[in-house]
Amino acid sequence: MFLQQLINGITLGSTYALIALGYTLIFGVLNIVNMAHGEIFMFGAFIGLILATKFNMSIFSALLGAMVAGAVLGYLMERLALRPLRRRKVSELAPLISTIGVSIFLESLALRLFGPQAQSFPSIYAAQLFEVGGLKISAVQIIILAISFGLMVALRFWLAKTRLGKSIRATAENIETANLLGVDTQKVIVLTVMLASALGGGAGVLVGLAFNAIEPTMGITMGFKGLAVLILGGLGNITGAMVGGLLLGIAEIFSVAYGVSSYRDAVAFGFIILLLFLRPQGIFGSKEQQGGR
Amino acid sequence: MEFLLNPYYMQLITFIIINAILGISIYLTLSTGQLSLGNAGFMSVGAYTSALLTLKAGVPLYAAVPLGGAAACLLAAIIGIPTTRLRGIYLAIATLGFGEVVRVIILNLKITNGALGLSSIPSMGVMLSKGIAAFGLAGGIGGISVRQLGSIAVILILALILGFLIFFALRLSSSRLGRAFAAIKADEHAAEVSGIDTRYYKLLAFFMGAFVAGIAGGLAAHITFYIGPKDFAYHRAVEILLFAVLGGSDVVWGPILGAVLLTVLPEVLRFATEYREMIYGAILVLMMAFRPQGLISESTLALWRTKLTRQPKIAGQDKVTRRTTP
Repeated sequence: MFLQQLINGITLGSTYALIALGYTLIFGVLNIVNMAHGEIFMFGAFIGLILATKFNMSIFSALLGAMVAGAVLGYLMERLALRPLRRRKVSELAPLISTIGVSIFLESLALRLFGPQAQSFPSIYAAQLFEVGGLKISAVQIIILAISFGLMVALRFWLAKTRLGKSIRATAENIETANLLGVDTQKVIVLTVMLASALGGGAGVLVGLAFNAIEPTMGITMGFKGLAVLILGGLGNITGAMVGGLLLGIAEIFSVAYGVSSYRDAVAFGFIILLLFLRPQGIFGSKEQQGGR
Repeated sequence: MEFLLNPYYMQLITFIIINAILGISIYLTLSTGQLSLGNAGFMSVGAYTSALLTLKAGVPLYAAVPLGGAAACLLAAIIGIPTTRLRGIYLAIATLGFGEVVRVIILNLKITNGALGLSSIPSMGVMLSKGIAAFGLAGGIGGISVRQLGSIAVILILALILGFLIFFALRLSSSRLGRAFAAIKADEHAAEVSGIDTRYYKLLAFFMGAFVAGIAGGLAAHITFYIGPKDFAYHRAVEILLFAVLGGSDVVWGPILGAVLLTVLPEVLRFATEYREMIYGAILVLMMAFRPQGLISESTLALWRTKLTRQPKIAGQDKVTRRTTP
């Protein structure tokens, strides 16, 4: 029972981690919290759903399509809501407010485009169950675990080893110095936002598969959880986002399994409030505040 | 006169005033440069506390509403004490999360009646019209019925509260406290170096904002006599934020203008109700891109003042530059 719940928790947590990675990437490079990330995630889920049901695509091409759609949305958001703010010096809260605007715009757009009712993926994957040593793992869980851990490992590797990954880290470290050293920071910023949004779109499909319910309001709920993980792991910390996501997933599953299921959505922020007292910079965050933008 | 006594317009006016009070609540926290997105949460705490006190404990209305504000203030301490040590984004997210936690708790508690919400909350209008009737005016005066008199009394009381808050905010900006707030808003480090206890003042501003939001919630509960957890969700928090963003948060008139515009516009533009949220979102993005200081800022006020009084000013006299804020 305990191990079974642990596996469920890790599956859920890996999707949270994927969402939180998107937040963290953008925060690391741009030093802003992208409040529209949850809505991009929700759009990704819907696009994946439409590709899978209306166009009869396989789940993997639907995932790819959702990631592309996420990247396009990310690009549009960067052009329309973030770049105009970067041109002039504004307070750090301005981009936060601007992305809140994007978030409610996208949510109500989704309500108009896709309707308010919850929709679900065809249940061909959920039905298959594998038994490993008394534990039940569904095909969906395996897909989710494989894809999200695959994406996380790929991202880590890409950031650490490739030229583009290095320029992203350089920009995150100090945008002015990176610029002086010949990094095209404008390009890096666009790329980061698109990458983060693509991860968000992909996470949308995975969560859609896991919960089997996709609705326009899920952007807010899941976005909040991603935010919680962002704070939990420390702002802008990639390892923190991964571990924090897994922790939150496990904590939620156990809160459901052992009694307090209706408080599930409050677990995330209960965590945060507790953490803010004990270790306000997050589990993996450094004490110093990052400066500049 | 008949036109103005229409219950629809009276209700609209009460909503405008309540929203203006909420605008002041976000202005108070923003005046130290802190963005609190928990005002919807504090509002719900105020509303539920006040409603439950009157419904279950029989506390009179005039005592229950301030107690609701105090309860909101108490909860603000839980969020505020750890977060005001950190930078602004933490406060924004923690308060947003706080609102969410409060919503989930309200949704699950028995005493708050879960998703159904509380209904038949003692109404302020009914109470006042009873009072007026007891005063010997049960038949009304000059063709105005006692119910309408009650609504007028509600509007008067709300206007009085709003007037007091505006007066308070205006006095604040020229007081020692207000100057400390402005210094923190302009540059927190510089303020700290000049000997301002930034943590204390930031907390104080946060508490004041929460208290006013709690009061607004209590008033709203006793005017609409129904409250449910849905009334205080994320969208409500965004709406309150919009008051300050659209109107501006440099001067107290900003969020008030924002509140008035955003309460009246949806009524005028009925055909656009379906696109309301989209329009709100677009307003937030456009304001941040083109006029982050909001419609009214200190310089706009100064400009109008010189235009209206037409006194030639010494150049550069009023040029106190402040960092533009959302």
